[in-house]
Amino acid sequence: MEKSDLSHHISRRFNEDLERVRNKVLSMGGFVEQQLSKAVIALVEGDSVMGEAVARDDYQVNNMEVSIDEECSRILATRAPAAGDLRVIVAIIKAITDLERMGDECEKIGNIASRLAAQERPADKYREVKHLGRVVQDMVHDALDAFARMDADAALRVARQDRLVDEEYESIQRQSITFMMEDPRTIRRAIDVMWIVRALERIGDHAKNICEYVIYMVHGKDIRHIRLEDVESALGNRGSAG
Amino acid sequence: MNSSFESWAYVFGRLVAVGLAGLLLGYMAGSVWAGVCFAYAAALGFHLRQLYLLDYWLRHRSIADPPDSGGLWGDIIAQVGRLHRRKKFHKQRIIRMFRELRRATASMSDGVIALNAGNEILWFNRRASELLGLRRKTDFGIRIDNLIRHPDFLRYLSTRQFGSGLSIHPKVGDPTCLEFQAVPYGAGQMFLLVRDATRQSQLETMRKDFVANASHELRSPLTVIAGYLETLADDPGLDAGLRPPIEEMRRQAERMTGIVADLLELSRLEATDEEVAGEPVDIEALLTQLRKDAASRRDRPSDIRVELASTDALRADPGLVHSAFWNLVDNAIKYTPAGGRIALKWWTDAAGAHLSVSDSGPGIPAEHLPRLTERFYRVDPGRARATGGSGLGLAIVRHVLQRHGGELEIRSAEGRGSVFTCHFPVARVVPGSAVRATA
Repeated sequence: MEKSDLSHHISRRFNEDLERVRNKVLSMGGFVEQQLSKAVIALVEGDSVMGEAVARDDYQVNNMEVSIDEECSRILATRAPAAGDLRVIVAIIKAITDLERMGDECEKIGNIASRLAAQERPADKYREVKHLGRVVQDMVHDALDAFARMDADAALRVARQDRLVDEEYESIQRQSITFMMEDPRTIRRAIDVMWIVRALERIGDHAKNICEYVIYMVHGKDIRHIRLEDVESALGNRGSAG
Repeated sequence: MNSSFESWAYVFGRLVAVGLAGLLLGYMAGSVWAGVCFAYAAALGFHLRQLYLLDYWLRHRSIADPPDSGGLWGDIIAQVGRLHRRKKFHKQRIIRMFRELRRATASMSDGVIALNAGNEILWFNRRASELLGLRRKTDFGIRIDNLIRHPDFLRYLSTRQFGSGLSIHPKVGDPTCLEFQAVPYGAGQMFLLVRDATRQSQLETMRKDFVANASHELRSPLTVIAGYLETLADDPGLDAGLRPPIEEMRRQAERMTGIVADLLELSRLEATDEEVAGEPVDIEALLTQLRKDAASRRDRPSDIRVELASTDALRADPGLVHSAFWNLVDNAIKYTPAGGRIALKWWTDAAGAHLSVSDSGPGIPAEHLPRLTERFYRVDPGRARATGGSGLGLAIVRHVLQRHGGELEIRSAEGRGSVFTCHFPVARVVPGSAVRATA
C-alpha cells in the first residue's frame, strides 16, 4: 500500500518533514470541524456569543494555512520529492485551500447566526438546517478520517454523500421560498437562512474535494470532473483492493 | 553428575578398549601402528556418524525422530529433547497468559489504547473502537491525534500534563461526552483510557441548572420578606415582646439573601471553564480598599496589616479577584478573636504572584483541610451558624482561582492560626513599571 511509502525513506528527516506537515493538516482539519459544529450550534441555539467567537477565531485557520503552505514550499524546494511523496505534497497544498475556505464559510455562518440570534426564531427552530449541518459535519469528519488513514474506499463513499447534501439544500431552498411567499415579513430571515444553507452546501463540496485528493494521493488518478460511477470503474480492481 | 561421570568413564573405557583391540589386531597382522590407527579411525567414524545424526535431527526436528543412540550420545540427545520440551511448555504458557490478558482487556468497560512515543496506535481494545470509531484492520500505526482531532485533545496530548484527565464533547451540541485519561509508562509510551461520561456530564449540567434556577427563583420572594421585616423592625409602634423575634427573623433573612447571592455567583463562575483574559488589576489599591472595608466592621480584630512586597499588578478580572480576596478577609475576620491579628501579603517571584491572608485564629484541624473548599462544608456546624457565613466563600475563592489558572493553598495548625495563599501563574504578573506607564 501507498501508506508504507511514508515510512520508507532513506532520509529520516524527509520522513519527519512529511509526517509533521500531514499532522498539521489534520489538526487544522480538527479545528475547522470544531468551528463548523460551533457555528451550527450558534444558529440552532441562538447563541450570539458563540457565533461571534467562531467569526473571531477564523484567523487561526488562516494562520495554519499560511504556515502549512510555507512548509510545503520548503519541502518542494529542498527535497524535490517524486512519485507518491510529490502526490502527498500536492494533495496537502490543495486540501489546506479547501479547509481554509471551509473556515471562511464557518465565519460567515457564525456572523449570520449571531445576527439571527437577536431575532425571533422560527417555529421549527431551524430543524432542517440542523440536520443538514449534521450531515455536512459527518462528511467533513469522514473525509479527514479518510485522509488520515489514506483510505480511498472511504473517500469515495464520502464523496458520494455530497449528493445527499445537494438534495437537502434544494429542499430547504424550496421550503424557504414557500415561507417567503406566505409571509413577506420573514423574507429577511429566510434570506439569511439561505446564506447559511448555501455555506453548508459549499462546505460539503470542499469536503468532497478533499476526498478526491485522497484518491489522487493513493491511486495517482485525478478524478475531478468525472462522474462517480465512472470513477469506480476507472479505479477498477485497485479500488476494491486498496 | 554421577551418571555423567559414569558415561564419560564408559566413553574413555571404550576408547582404551578400541586402542587395545587395534593393538592386538595390528600385532597379529604384523603392523602395530597401522592397527591402532585403523581402530581409532573407525571410532572417529562412529562418532562423526552420531554427530551427523544429531545435527540432522536438530535441523529437522519437526519431522525426524531423534536418533536411537546409546551411551553419551543418547544422554545428550535426551537432554536436548528435554530442553526443547521445556521451552515449548513455557512458550505455550506465555501465549496462554497473553491471550487471557487480551481477552480481559477486551471485555473491560473502559476503552484502552496503547500508544508509542510518537503517539502511534499500537493496540486498542473493543470498547475503544466502539467509542472512538477506530478500525481494527487499518488503524494500527496511525497517530491517534490524526483520528481524534478535537483541539482540546491535541492540546492535552502535546502539553503532556495528564493529571486530571480531559473530557470533551466530540460533537459540539451532542450530549455525548468522552473522558480521556493518559497513563504514561516506559520510555514515552502511554495508555490512553477512554470512558463514556455522557451521563455524568448530563447530571452535572442538570445540577448546575437546578442550583442556578432555584437560587434565582428564591431571590424575589426573599427580597419581599426581607423588605417587610425591615419595615416592621423600624416600626416604633411594635409590641416590645415581638421586637426580638422580628429582629432575629431580619438577621436570618439577611443571611439567607447572602447565601442565595453566593450561590448565584458560584453558578455564574461554574457556567464556563474558560480562563478569563482579564486586565491589569492594581493590587495595592485593592488591598488598601479591603483593609478599609475590614476596618469598618464592628467584630474586627484590633490588628489588621497589609504588606506589599511587590509593585507588580495582576492580570485578572477585577470583580472576581475582589470577591475572592474579600471572602478570604471576611473569613479571617470571622474566625479571629478581637485581640487577634490579620495580615495580608502580596508578593511576586519566579513561580508567579502570591497573595496570602493569615490570621491568628483558632486554626483548622488537619483532617478538615482537604474538604474545606467544598460547598457548605463546616468545620464546626454550631459555630458557623453563629458567625453567619454562607459556607460558600472558599468554594467561590477556589473557582475564581481556577478561572485564572491559579490555585489555593491552605496551611493551618490548631491553636496557631491559618494561612490562605492564592497562587497565580507567572503569565498573570504584570510588571509594576508597565502598569504605571498605562496608568
